[in-house]
Amino acid sequence: MKLILNILTLMTFLSAAELEIGSTMPKMDHALKDISGKAMTLSDVKGDAGTLVVFSCNTCPWVIRWEDRYVSLADKYIPKGIGMITVNSNAARFSGDDSIEEMISHARENNYNFPYAQDPGSELAAAFGATKTPHIYLFNRNDKLVYRGAIDDNAKDALKVDVPYLANAMNAMLSGEKIDPVSTKALGCSIKYK
Amino acid sequence: MKHVFLLIYILMITTACESVELIPAASSDLMSQVRSHKGKKAVLLNVWALWCVPCVEEFPMIVDLDKEMSELEVIFISADFDDQLEEVKSFLNRQGVDHISYIKQEKDEPFIQGIYPQWSGSLPFTVVYSRESGTIVDSWEGKESESRFRMAINIALNS
Repeated sequence: MKLILNILTLMTFLSAAELEIGSTMPKMDHALKDISGKAMTLSDVKGDAGTLVVFSCNTCPWVIRWEDRYVSLADKYIPKGIGMITVNSNAARFSGDDSIEEMISHARENNYNFPYAQDPGSELAAAFGATKTPHIYLFNRNDKLVYRGAIDDNAKDALKVDVPYLANAMNAMLSGEKIDPVSTKALGCSIKYK
Repeated sequence: MKHVFLLIYILMITTACESVELIPAASSDLMSQVRSHKGKKAVLLNVWALWCVPCVEEFPMIVDLDKEMSELEVIFISADFDDQLEEVKSFLNRQGVDHISYIKQEKDEPFIQGIYPQWSGSLPFTVVYSRESGTIVDSWEGKESESRFRMAINIALNS
C-alpha cells in the first residue's frame, strides 16, 4: 500500500514540474512553425526589454474569453521592447482544430498583432512545464523568468478585472520595481501533448 | 385534445427529470463538504467544465463509479461561467446526476489555492480523499483511465 501511495505521489509530482521563477528561458532555439510560414525560435522573438510567451490554442473557451487582452497587451508592450509570441502546443490536434490553416483563420478573426506558432512535438510546453491554455511566462531582458501564470483575474470580462497580474508584472519589470506576485493561477484547457 | 395531453405528459416527464440542484460554491464550501464525510465515506472531487472535452468524456464513468460504490461520495464542481447555469444543469440531468452538484463561484486564484495549491488550474482535475483520515490519497490533472480512478478510490476506502 505504501509503495502504491509513493508511486501516486511521484506521478503527481512529475506532472506538476513547472519552470521555476529565476530559470533561464529554455529551448530558445527550438524551431516553431509560425502562421506566416516561417520557422521561428524564441531567440527570434526576444525583445530588448523582455519576452512574453503565451501558451494558447484556437478553441479553448478560456483563451477565447481572454484573447482580447492578448491584442491590447501586444499593442501596449511590444512598442516598449517586450517581445511577444503565442505558442500552440496542442500537437495532438495539429491535424484538426489546431492546424496551421485553422490558426491562420483564428489569428485573422481575432486581430492577432503578434506571432502565433505551432510547437512541434509540444517540446516547448514540456520544457516550460506548461499545462494549460492560456498559460503565461514573462522573461526579463536577461531571459530569466520573472512572472508566470494568469493574465488577470477575470477571463470573462476585461472591464471587470480587479488585478491585471500580467500588466502589473510587465510595468514593474520595465520600471525596475519588484514584481508581486511572481506567480498566479487560473483555470484553463489542458495542453494536448502528442 | 390528444396532443394537449401528450404535451402535458412530456412536460411532466421533463420536469421530473430536472432533479439536480446546482449550488454556486467557493472552495471553502467545497472543503467543508469534503470534511463532512471524514470517517464515513471516501470522497472524489472532480472539477470539470462543459467546454472541456476530456472532462465530458470521463464524466459518465465517474457517475457510474458513484452509483456503484455506496461508500464513495462524488463531488462534481463545474468551472463553467455563470452565464451557463442552464446548460450545466441540463448536462448534469442528462448524465443522471440526481443530487446536489456545484458550480464555481470564486475567482480562479483563490479557488485553485483553496482546492489544492499544487493544482496548476488545468481541467479536468480530480482529488481523492481517504475515508478514515480525510487526507488526500491521490490527485491528477487531465482525463484518466477507469483503472486509475479505481486504484485511487480503493486506497481511499482502505486508508
